Amino acid sequence: MIESPFAQTAIQLILLALVSLLIPASYRVIVGPTLPDRLQAVDLITTLLIGIIVLLALVEGTENFVDMAIALAAFAFIGTISIARYISEGRVY
Amino acid sequence: MPLEILGVGALLFGLFFCAVGVLGVIRMPDSLTRLHASGKVATLGLFGILLGAALLMPTAWLRLLTLGLFVLLTSPVATHAIAASVHRRREIVGELVETDAPEEHPDFSGVDVTAVLSRSRIQDIIEAQERALRQRGPEARPKRDD
Repeated sequence: MIESPFAQTAIQLILLALVSLLIPASYRVIVGPTLPDRLQAVDLITTLLIGIIVLLALVEGTENFVDMAIALAAFAFIGTISIARYISEGRVY
Repeated sequence: MPLEILGVGALLFGLFFCAVGVLGVIRMPDSLTRLHASGKVATLGLFGILLGAALLMPTAWLRLLTLGLFVLLTSPVATHAIAASVHRRREIVGELVETDAPEEHPDFSGVDVTAVLSRSRIQDIIEAQERALRQRGPEARPKRDD
C-alpha cells in the first residue's frame, strides 16, 4: 500500500484513464473490417488489461495480482496464436 | 518521495504510449499499420507501466521483471502470427505490400512449376489462378472435365 496521497491519487487517475482506453479499443473489435483486425484488437485489449491489473496491484497494495497478470499474458498468447493459425489456415494444428 | 515521483512519471509515460497506440489502432488505414500501432502498446506502454510499478512497489520487482520478460518474448510472436494471417488471407495486395508469391507474377502463368513446388504451393497457385479468372469474368473460366 502506498501511503503518500500524491502517489495514491496519481495511480488512481492513471488507472481510470487506462480503463477508459478500453472503450475506444473495443471500437476496432466491433467494426473491424476483417477478421485479423478483430483478433488484433482483442490482443490489444488483453495488453491493456495486463497494465490495468498491475495498476490494480499498486492501488490495493497486493503483490499477488501481478501473478494474475502473468497468467493472463500466458493465456492471451496461446489464444492469439491459435486463433491466428485458425483464421489463416483453417485449422489450429 | 523522489522514487514516487519517478514511478508516477514512468506510469504517465506508459499511459501516453497506451493512448497513442489505441489512437493508432483506430485511425490507421489498414491492418499492417494498425499492427505497428498496437505493438507500441505491448512494448513501450506496458514496459512504462511495469517500470513505474517496480519503482512504486519495490518488493514485487522480480514478478514484474518476469512479466516484462514474458511479454517481451511473446508479443512479437503474436504480432507476427497476426501479420502472417493478414498476408496469407491476401487482405492487402498492392501498394503497401509487394507481391512476393511466384503465382502472382504474370511470367509464371504458363510455366509448369509442379515439379519444383510442394503440394501446398500448388494449391495456392490453383487458388490464385481461379481468383484471377473470377475477376476477369465467368466466361473466361475454362471448362473442366473432372
